[in-house]
Amino acid sequence: MRKTNKMIFISLLVSVGLALSVIESAIPLPIALPGAKLGLSNMVVMVTLVVFGFKEGIKVAMLKSTILMLVTGSITSFFYSLSGAILSCVVMYIFYRYFSKIFSLIGVSIAGAASHNFAQVSVAVLILNNTRIYSYLPFLLLTSLFTGYFVGLSSIYIVDNLRKNFRILFQKQVVK
Amino acid sequence: MTKGDKFLIGLIILISISSFAYINRYAFADVDKYISVQVNGVEIKKILYDPQLIGHTIPVQTEFGYNLIELGDERVRVIEADCPDKIDVKQGHIHRVGETIVCLPNKLVIEIKGEIKDSDVDIISY
Repeated sequence: MRKTNKMIFISLLVSVGLALSVIESAIPLPIALPGAKLGLSNMVVMVTLVVFGFKEGIKVAMLKSTILMLVTGSITSFFYSLSGAILSCVVMYIFYRYFSKIFSLIGVSIAGAASHNFAQVSVAVLILNNTRIYSYLPFLLLTSLFTGYFVGLSSIYIVDNLRKNFRILFQKQVVK
Repeated sequence: MTKGDKFLIGLIILISISSFAYINRYAFADVDKYISVQVNGVEIKKILYDPQLIGHTIPVQTEFGYNLIELGDERVRVIEADCPDKIDVKQGHIHRVGETIVCLPNKLVIEIKGEIKDSDVDIISY
């Protein structure tokens, strides 16, 4: 795979993640919890982690939340989403790289979703200077189970499909 | 889905439910709430909540008039007064920190006092 191929594929992933974030904000949730999201764009970060690796994954995660801030224009949610994206990316990579015998992609994604919520709530605690906000975490953790399961299941299918149809992605050596 | 996944799901459910139970039990208990009875601006009685006091009545007889206060389960009301309009009796129970019952003719104020924490942020918008 050429360097250009890789760059194009990563930018495609970022744009897919952006589109998913915008679409998911239009999907109503049955429960009214501020901060609870479907986290569809997490799928993109997971696929990047699996296909490319850690460096590209964190690039995609950070680019995604930065550009989403430019699209939606809300700076406070940018801090929440950036911290969540970085921590969940690190946790998912550790889970995928070192514990992939124990956990399938579903487990990886649930761990990512849970750590995303944890980082978000921690940033809220720092911004508002009030540790009582941690009392909100159990609800978010419960919702992250469902969204994480769904996202993990979908990314299993995505990675399978990519393995079949885009074999070029999995040829590790970079041709200059 | 592997065994590890199921273990992780179980672990997260356990953590969230147990911490939820902990929060409900300890973090939001209002221990410093008390009822302050003031007449003519001076606090004459300070009553701490106590399950033994439920149904207890406290007469307040002063130079300005007579009121009978009844304590309930985490709440308080005035059940008798000799003032003409009886606004304090009609108001019913109060239970939140900061709520007051006022009887102007008798110069009586019953207020629920307590520490109101985290007051440096007014409102949060997402």
